[in-house]
Amino acid sequence: MDSRLERFTVPERVTHWLVAICYVYAGLSGLALWSRAMWWLAPVMGGGENLRGWHPIAGVIFALLLAMQFRRWAAQMKLDADDRKWLAMSGRYAMHDEHGVPESGRFNAGQKMLFWLQSTSAIVLFATGAVLWFPEVMPRGLRLISILVHPLAAVASMGGIIVHIYMTTVVVQGALHAMTRGYVTEGWAKSHHAKWFRQVTRQ
Amino acid sequence: MQTVAKLIDTTLCIGCKACEVACQQWNDQEYTLGVFQNTYQTMPDLAPNFWNLIKFNEAEINGAQSWLMAKYQCMHCADAGCIKACPSPGAIVQLGNGIVDFNRDNCIGCGYCITGCPFDVPRLSPKTKKVYKCSLCSDRVAVGLEPACIKTCPTSCLTFGSRTDLKFLAEKRAEELKADGFTQAGVYDGPGVGGTNVIYVLKHADQPETYGLPKDPHIPWTVSLWKGPLKWLGNAVFLGGILTAVLHFVKFGPKEEHHRG
Repeated sequence: MDSRLERFTVPERVTHWLVAICYVYAGLSGLALWSRAMWWLAPVMGGGENLRGWHPIAGVIFALLLAMQFRRWAAQMKLDADDRKWLAMSGRYAMHDEHGVPESGRFNAGQKMLFWLQSTSAIVLFATGAVLWFPEVMPRGLRLISILVHPLAAVASMGGIIVHIYMTTVVVQGALHAMTRGYVTEGWAKSHHAKWFRQVTRQ
Repeated sequence: MQTVAKLIDTTLCIGCKACEVACQQWNDQEYTLGVFQNTYQTMPDLAPNFWNLIKFNEAEINGAQSWLMAKYQCMHCADAGCIKACPSPGAIVQLGNGIVDFNRDNCIGCGYCITGCPFDVPRLSPKTKKVYKCSLCSDRVAVGLEPACIKTCPTSCLTFGSRTDLKFLAEKRAEELKADGFTQAGVYDGPGVGGTNVIYVLKHADQPETYGLPKDPHIPWTVSLWKGPLKWLGNAVFLGGILTAVLHFVKFGPKEEHHRG
């Protein structure tokens, strides 16, 4: 039997899934607020009045949890020379032709980019969301900017999340299991994160 | 159905505030103590329970001190920024007669309408978490009565009627004022928002800001951008993303574990 390697610790997994729950609620309720074509989501998300109250609260919890996740992972998410090469060859990675594509550490360059995209968009969403939360006290100029920038950041973030969900549930078999149960097989680690595999098996 | 309108001939306003009282009474507003700010103005600004305010503007025009009184309330725009920004279908409606009115059961209190309004008119009530503004007394108009403010105005500064008629009257009045020496007199009815159903006659139409009115009202460009191109960008990202994923799966499928030599 293939021996197991711990991929994500319990705190990492708990934080990730709490972030995900808040993201899904804030995202779907946000879609309802964004466009009347998506208003059918409003009754599902608790009805218009509740949704208006809960969307920003979900956003604040999301931001706090994401800040924890950021502290935990930021140092591991720095891009190195191999990552930049990986990004340049990401087309070949997507087509499963990985000859010449540099090996990855604990996170590959795509995951790192997702991390920075989500962190950046979260900061923007949090700042503009705070403005939109209290229209009666916030200056008009800030509201006018926020009403445009808030959905813009959300579109960028959700674009990244679509890729993230597709990659982790369909393309890289075992990735979802790594985030739910916490471990992967050695073969999986060698195949998808060879540098990380050597790191954790060296000692 | 013909479009109704309210004509405000600011040159006939004597600042009696009868319209404010009539508005408060007809709409059964909760009493709030006015704020004294060294002016005759009742309140510094519109409020959730105060929809109709006479602004007592003091301005120096051509070296002369002028006291420009102007009634301020919802302008009932043809192209209404509040409706454009509102996410909740049916919360703000445009009636067949042009009145822009709230259906407060559908209002979720997000306040987007406040940001969408070029005239900064709607007000969010912290108590009910709903938004309020002048309804042009849609309940009165529906049964053939004129709005309360107009009913009570003692100087015929306010007139109610069909928009076409009132626009004609307003232009005529502006011509009279010009003949009287107010060369800058004119009509203010927001062409940038498709025309407002509240029409002003101003002595100094070249400087509406001195009356507390925006110079060239438009739906804010950020709201238009959000409700226009951004929506298509979003559609492209969401649908494009999902479609790309499906196509990728069909063509390439999942990754297989491999062991590099």
